[in-house]
Amino acid sequence: MLPPLPVALPMLVAAVLLSLAHVWPRRVPDTIAIATALGVAAIGVALVLGAADGPITYWFGGWQPHADVVLGIGFMVDQVGAIMVVLIGVLFAGAFLFAWGFFDEVHAVFHVLMLLFMAAMSGFCLTHDLFNLFVWFEVMSVAAFALTAYRLEASSLEAALNFTVTNSLASFFILAGIGLIYSVAGTLDFTALARVVAQTEGDKVIAASFCLLVTGLLIKAAAAPFQLWLVDAHALAPSPVCVIFSGAMVTMGIYGSTKLGWQVFGGDPVIRAGAHAVLLTAGACSVIVGGIMCVTQRHVKRLLAFSTISHAGIMLIGCSLFSAHGEAGVLLYMLGHGLVKGALFMTAGILLATLGGIDELGLRGLGRQIWPAGIAVAAGGLMLAGAPVGLMEHGTRLIESAADAAGQTWITAVMMLGSALTGGAVLRAAGRIFLGVGAVTGDEERAPTEEEQERSDRPLWLMLTPCTALLVLSLLGTSRVDAFAAHAVGPFIGLPQPAAAGYPTPPDYLPWMTVGLALLIAVYDLSRNRLPGRLVRTAGAVFRPLHTVLEAWHSGLVGDYVTWIVVGLALMAGGVTLVSIS
Amino acid sequence: MIGLLPWLLSAWLLAIGLYGIVTSRHYVHLIGCLTVVQSSTYVLLLSVGYRWNAGPPIFFDHPPGTPAVDPVVQALVLTDIVVGATVSALLLALALQLHKKKGSLDPEALRPMR
Repeated sequence: MLPPLPVALPMLVAAVLLSLAHVWPRRVPDTIAIATALGVAAIGVALVLGAADGPITYWFGGWQPHADVVLGIGFMVDQVGAIMVVLIGVLFAGAFLFAWGFFDEVHAVFHVLMLLFMAAMSGFCLTHDLFNLFVWFEVMSVAAFALTAYRLEASSLEAALNFTVTNSLASFFILAGIGLIYSVAGTLDFTALARVVAQTEGDKVIAASFCLLVTGLLIKAAAAPFQLWLVDAHALAPSPVCVIFSGAMVTMGIYGSTKLGWQVFGGDPVIRAGAHAVLLTAGACSVIVGGIMCVTQRHVKRLLAFSTISHAGIMLIGCSLFSAHGEAGVLLYMLGHGLVKGALFMTAGILLATLGGIDELGLRGLGRQIWPAGIAVAAGGLMLAGAPVGLMEHGTRLIESAADAAGQTWITAVMMLGSALTGGAVLRAAGRIFLGVGAVTGDEERAPTEEEQERSDRPLWLMLTPCTALLVLSLLGTSRVDAFAAHAVGPFIGLPQPAAAGYPTPPDYLPWMTVGLALLIAVYDLSRNRLPGRLVRTAGAVFRPLHTVLEAWHSGLVGDYVTWIVVGLALMAGGVTLVSIS
Repeated sequence: MIGLLPWLLSAWLLAIGLYGIVTSRHYVHLIGCLTVVQSSTYVLLLSVGYRWNAGPPIFFDHPPGTPAVDPVVQALVLTDIVVGATVSALLLALALQLHKKKGSLDPEALRPMR
């Protein structure tokens, strides 16, 4: 009975809130929402425990398949899906607690939208039916569109419009992909689809369907060149919403593409080879583009948004390896990144609420009065940079060892660069805002950003509590966690449990090298005024053209975004075709 | 399955819809183009499920075994239409609010904060 509950419970509560919230005292919806999110997390834990010996299958309305004919819609809960539900529950509980007193409207519309958002994500993680996956994708998107525009300010409205247009295209691509694969297979159940895909090896229509489905999901995952929408949406949505966007929604795109890659298309070696090529390329490009753009931002939420693009790229690289080790690494990385990035967006919200701004240069030194938030930012930055503690680092390690085993050691270098750039940027922001170092003079000093502020009457400890809780959870990296991930991905990828032996382990000094590089980047940026002028000018001359091109790419025009989506779809199709010919 | 024509039509709708979005200078026009793109998925899905000489998939007064078009894709299209209506309504509401705030709906004239 448990599998449908993570979806049904938040939907039911949302309906009750919508009809009754206006007669209740203000804080009752807040409390109910937090309790619901914690309830979903608890159900997730129960599902993780229940699925330890194999996936739990649930057919809605009792429509069980007969003689391989599947008419019903099923949820199949494996440990990977269940642990994602736990992550979603925890992040939403944190976001609701963080948003305590954030919105003062009477009808609790924010809570209703967020609960729908949570239900859709849980359904997305647990479903075993392609069209059902699309429905949850769509519900998730619509809730996200409305939440982005929640404040009804000009800039957030524009961001929400662009977000809606690009992500609606994503869902149309997914639907077209579903149509194509249904025309061959005549079914929508993952297991039945996988059977057909394995029998029709090299089928062109199925390959086209794969391209459309993965393009749609990669738009959600903000992989280059589909990443353009993400920055506006993340920079302008209210902070509690950003926690979910960065921590869970982007991850859903990656989770979806890896799930389809293994569970539906895994039986066709031609498609798998194509998927490896396109996911690896898109992942590596995202890591580099996101990393470089991240370092050059001064708007803290935009900075964090670009770092999300970079880290999503690392996850995509892990998915592209199609190995049990890589998949276990991706699972840990998704959890770790979700928690750390959620906490970091909460600190950005704290800046907006207590200091009344989000511009790194404008806030220089002002953060001293809220120094505990500074510790959280620095800890998050170190974790992004790959400090050898916690879930993210365990994930990185597993992905790197899978890359080594595949003979592609360059992947490690790309991942280190991305982590160092994003971690360095966050550490720099921490140093400038909370320590007051790194003064700049000249044109740069005047902030180009518009006035922004979020409600300032919430106590600091209230906002820091969920932030600290997420950071502490992200520290849970032990060998038992590794063993859990290895056990969990077995049924997810349909392979026997991966053998830990025989895989190379990356050397112990690698994480320290990345952290060192991140610190170097941060210190260089903060002490530019004191360094020899020639050094700074040379570095600028090398770096600036690259930055100018990338900045121009993120033009803020929806037409450009859609052009790049079309280009990306063409590249995806071209890549898969090339690989299948060779 | 009914030959090549519906596939070409679907691809054509997709192409002109995308062209419209890319070159649009007005958000309401752009939202219209988005629904054109969506129509291409309707055509695709309906043509996937079509059978010659088959009736609608309503078995109320037909004997079992009567040929009918595939009801699954019709259900998918119906869901899709509902979703499309939601998204269009939301987009138009956003566009309306944006026009109230800025007095323009030209994407070139309205650039989000950098």
